[in-house]
Amino acid sequence: MTNIERKEIAPGVFFNSVTVERFKTMKLSCTAYIPLTKESAAMSAMLSQVLTKSCEEYPTLMEFSRKLGSLYGATVSGGANKSGDVRTMKLVVSAIDDRFALDGESVAQEVSKLLCEVLFKPKVNDEKFDGEDIEQERRQLIEYIDSQFNDKQVYAALRCTEIMCEGEPYGITRHGGVDTINKIDRENLYKGWKEILKTARFEIFFVGGKGADEAMKVFASSFAEVERTPVVLENKVIYDVKEVKDVTEEMELSQSKLIIGMRTGVDSLDPRSQALRLMSAVLGGTAHSKLFNNVREKLSLCYYCSSRYDSRKGILRIESGVESENIEKAKEAIFAEIEEMKKGNITDFEMESAKLSVCDSFRTLDDSVDGIEAWYSSQVFEDKFRNLDEKVQDIMNITKEQVVEAAKLLKLDTIYVLKGNQKEG
Amino acid sequence: MKIEEIVSKELSEKYYKTTHKSGLDIYVFPKEGYKSTYAIFGTKYGSVNRCFSVDGGEKVTVPDGIAHYLEHKLFESEDGDAFARYAKTGANANAYTSFNKTCYLFSCSDNFEDSLRILLDFVTSPYFTPQTVQKEQGIIGQEIKMYDDSPDWRVMFNMLEAMYENHPVKIDIAGTVESISHITADLLYQCYNTFYNLGNMALCVAGNADMDTVLKIADEVLKEQKIKKVESFFEPEKDGVSKDYVEQEFPVAVPLFNLGFKESGERKLTDEEAALNEIIMTMLFSSASRLYTKLLDEGLINSSFCYEFNEGPGYAVTILSGESREPEKVAKIIKAYIENIKREGFEQEDFEIAKRTVYGDLIGSFNSPAFIGNALMDCALFGGNLFDYARAVAQADIESAKKRLDSMLMTDKSVLSVIVPQKQ
Repeated sequence: MTNIERKEIAPGVFFNSVTVERFKTMKLSCTAYIPLTKESAAMSAMLSQVLTKSCEEYPTLMEFSRKLGSLYGATVSGGANKSGDVRTMKLVVSAIDDRFALDGESVAQEVSKLLCEVLFKPKVNDEKFDGEDIEQERRQLIEYIDSQFNDKQVYAALRCTEIMCEGEPYGITRHGGVDTINKIDRENLYKGWKEILKTARFEIFFVGGKGADEAMKVFASSFAEVERTPVVLENKVIYDVKEVKDVTEEMELSQSKLIIGMRTGVDSLDPRSQALRLMSAVLGGTAHSKLFNNVREKLSLCYYCSSRYDSRKGILRIESGVESENIEKAKEAIFAEIEEMKKGNITDFEMESAKLSVCDSFRTLDDSVDGIEAWYSSQVFEDKFRNLDEKVQDIMNITKEQVVEAAKLLKLDTIYVLKGNQKEG
Repeated sequence: MKIEEIVSKELSEKYYKTTHKSGLDIYVFPKEGYKSTYAIFGTKYGSVNRCFSVDGGEKVTVPDGIAHYLEHKLFESEDGDAFARYAKTGANANAYTSFNKTCYLFSCSDNFEDSLRILLDFVTSPYFTPQTVQKEQGIIGQEIKMYDDSPDWRVMFNMLEAMYENHPVKIDIAGTVESISHITADLLYQCYNTFYNLGNMALCVAGNADMDTVLKIADEVLKEQKIKKVESFFEPEKDGVSKDYVEQEFPVAVPLFNLGFKESGERKLTDEEAALNEIIMTMLFSSASRLYTKLLDEGLINSSFCYEFNEGPGYAVTILSGESREPEKVAKIIKAYIENIKREGFEQEDFEIAKRTVYGDLIGSFNSPAFIGNALMDCALFGGNLFDYARAVAQADIESAKKRLDSMLMTDKSVLSVIVPQKQ
């Protein structure tokens, strides 16, 4: 597999490069990691949008877009997310490899400079961001949050997280909420941006053929101008469940959503973390999993029923779409499958197919620029980067006993139901 | 059996094509250095093919939703389920039914030969009994309801329903709970035997693959069969639209819209037309366009705004979609803008930037075996050539673009479909 070179180019700023010749495109990403609070969530969401629409040199969206268009449709995008209790703000540029430029231009060099400008030289005036730009992004951020409400599968999962992790930074969703987004103004956004440059941990990834060295130089020299005091990032894995939360909300839908949140008490540095990941795949991560085969196929209770594991928080979430009159039956069926796993009733077939499926998804990541960037950037909180072969080995070595032990850790925390109350027409 | 090699020096790519002795067209597109392989096996049978004849025989019409029902049922066999077989090889499998085709696919990073055996075998081995047909009613019924609850899905189908008077493209791909209740094992066999004839299908493989291996497996699994001539029929469709506005209430926070423009769809666009079509849509509607900037500045759209062109037998439609608090105003501005561009023409620089953008996007797409597999499938079933298309993009000229613009985006043949929040 492709290998990675890592260098600290400023205090708390790391440049990682993966040189690959077999793709037609390159990707350069820059992620800032800061503590997650409602305010930092809103501010980083806003910045990730405002910064990626213009810069000092191309101050309107149209000029910026046209510059990217002339670079063969290069794309610059920004997003904000979370990794456990840590907020992430990611800026990305993707472009074609130099060898496909119709007039021999060096695309990689131009886009690296552009991304660096986007971060360090945004359109600001008098220590303030532009008011109209902020309003434009505020409106769209709010519309985005509203659209999450439209997608009932997404909405139900968010509600479960908010309820289950109330009081934890991880429980903050929807970019901190509309009220917090509305409190952002031209000055506090500028302060937030300065603060990030000064105190965030930065991970920069270059994946492509040519241009890593130039990109590294460009970022190193920009960071050299900043007085850096990187902040300490905390992440808590909670295992104590005082009382199971059981919440039902109603909506006019023809189908209900059932989301079950469970805790395992294991964080991503714990040696049991991989077994937990595999356990989630056996339970409900593939088309051969217990939930898919029994709750969906055999009992015809759900059109979808799957489990997802967040290794940073040690949280497993089961999501399903179910007819309103079958909610209780579906709950029973799901808990029955978990019990089976705790009792050790896992077949060799279920183990093997889950392992193959997980390893197959790993290998697939190696076949795209985005996949390789995602593979390594998801490991920034681990003790070291592991390449594909190492992680495949780890998974293949996990025993059934380890998966059963992992299942035994599952502790029910929250049941959330979005109940559809639409009458049949 | 002749194996054709098709090369593109500009893209540094090549692929191979042949017709297997069973009558199946096979395409293999190797990607050097890739670990994974994507294989897709498709038939020219989609939700619109509800009226057909075989070898010039009697015209039959079947209930809606059979193509999709077949897709679900083919995974089952007397001794189990295709997914269980794929579990042993570790492949990631899926399938989809669209308006004009049904495809079965997998991607894998190991055990390719075994996975390909499974794919070719289960798709060519139908097994339906009244019991298994009955069981699927529940699952598909729920799938239909899931889509009924989806505002994104409904906004498009409401638009198609208003746009087309007779053409079955307006009918939900999975059918309705009512129409699927009429599906029987016999009907499934009838449609299967008609459309799943190898002369009506194609196999495309991309990524870590070579033609010899694919042919070896095809020789093992595929039986020779008599090639059937299948013809699909559609009731005549008028030029214009049935209704130009349709609205539905949903529990949404922001309204969604689909603005559709109807074209005749009497034949597939040529590679040159398709290239120009893509460049023009990019020039007019992408985030670098003057229209987008105007709508965004006025708070009328957000980054969800996007465009697509969808064509098939007897239908062709350009769809602009997104979220907006004032969809009717957006539609009005867009239509006026289109009329203006048709009248006044467009800037050379705008055209050049759009052309480079489409070219760059296409280059990037060639990274993906999934993109290549699906694009080859479309060409295999409906005509066209991937490398010719890429060349057409690189060589597109402004005069030809002006000509294509004249036959697209007809504002007098448009439909605005809106999903609005429920009134309190």
